[in-house]
Amino acid sequence: MIQRKIEEKEDLLDNPMVDIATYLFLEDIADKQGAAGMNNYLMSLAYSLARSMPEEEYTDWDSFVEAIVKGESILSAFEKVNAVSKYCMVTVESPFLRGWKEYTKRIGEFPKIHKDVAEYYNSRTTPTAIETGDIIIQTYRKAAAEKITVEGKKVNVAHIATVSPDGSKKIAPEEWLPILLEKANITRTQMNMILRNNAGVWIVYPTQ
Amino acid sequence: MLDIALVSLIQDMSEKAGVEGTIQYWIRVGENLAKRMGKEAYMGWPSFNVALREGRTAFSIEGNVAALTDLAITDVDGDVVGYIYALEKCVFEPTILRVRYSVGQLPRADKQIADEYNITYRNIAVCNFCIIHVKFREEVAKNITIAGQPLEALHLANRGFTGDTKIDEENLNKIGINKEYVRSLLRNYACVFALVMKGARLKGEVNEE
Repeated sequence: MIQRKIEEKEDLLDNPMVDIATYLFLEDIADKQGAAGMNNYLMSLAYSLARSMPEEEYTDWDSFVEAIVKGESILSAFEKVNAVSKYCMVTVESPFLRGWKEYTKRIGEFPKIHKDVAEYYNSRTTPTAIETGDIIIQTYRKAAAEKITVEGKKVNVAHIATVSPDGSKKIAPEEWLPILLEKANITRTQMNMILRNNAGVWIVYPTQ
Repeated sequence: MLDIALVSLIQDMSEKAGVEGTIQYWIRVGENLAKRMGKEAYMGWPSFNVALREGRTAFSIEGNVAALTDLAITDVDGDVVGYIYALEKCVFEPTILRVRYSVGQLPRADKQIADEYNITYRNIAVCNFCIIHVKFREEVAKNITIAGQPLEALHLANRGFTGDTKIDEENLNKIGINKEYVRSLLRNYACVFALVMKGARLKGEVNEE
């Protein structure tokens, strides 16, 4: 969908000013409402975005995974995703990488609030965020999954690990990891191999 | 994805903080962005125009800005005190297209915010993003000096994604440029603005006095 069109058409690349303005907009919110307020806005905008996406239904799991990989599902509308097993998905590049690069190039180092808000999110929601963008994409993935039906069943998303553009990693807590890896059908070593040159590992699976 | 998240945030924000609150946030973002870009100093107009062409000034964040050097602005003494500049592509256009292809349509808030700004502040916005853009340019101009003189940005005209246009006649009169001429520039450019030496005695301003 959008990923393919972007690859085809240079004109569709977002403007650096819009990306940087978004970060500053969020920093302005954080100045007034702190990490908690900023977190609420980030999650709320991700829910709004998912709400505005169309519902999807697939007759079988393979065609669903194929749609994700081709960028035709709402789960991959904003990122390039590869499937490494039936349920395990890999985000090749952070959808926020371009904005991140433009900010560091034109403005400088990111203020600490972008990591503080992720810590706030990690302590209350899912502990796999490193910075602002991760809250948006992870909340979006979970909310978008609720709009998808495969073989008549709803699907869920869970996050295993995230890698920031600066190389820092956030992996799900030890008590969750074995369960998540089993569902993903990958070993811990394979996960670490994936994390070397990708931006995130997550699973999408049918509800029981 | 960041830009699409922003569009979603604008809708969310205008529902929570109101349209006026969102405008205030946008104006502050324009100010902060300009402040964070830092100051610049140039020996004269030619060196500034070369820097602009090579993408080295703070204005370059917007994309390709053309210096229309055939349109020099002169003061009452006939000295060159500024030029007209034109942005080739609206900075918000790729986002509008990306929203179109991924979500479907822009949220209502986009137009609501622009309309409110046009009524309350200045009738120049063709989309919500013009608000940050207008403020950003005004503030960046203050941070740039040419031959020791700070600049002032005057917004002249904008063209929206659907072809709608906004022209600031008051600013056109100040620099003595014909409205129809600026309208013709909008065929090739998304927005047109002037940069002049702050405090210059422009012909239009002197005539008003």
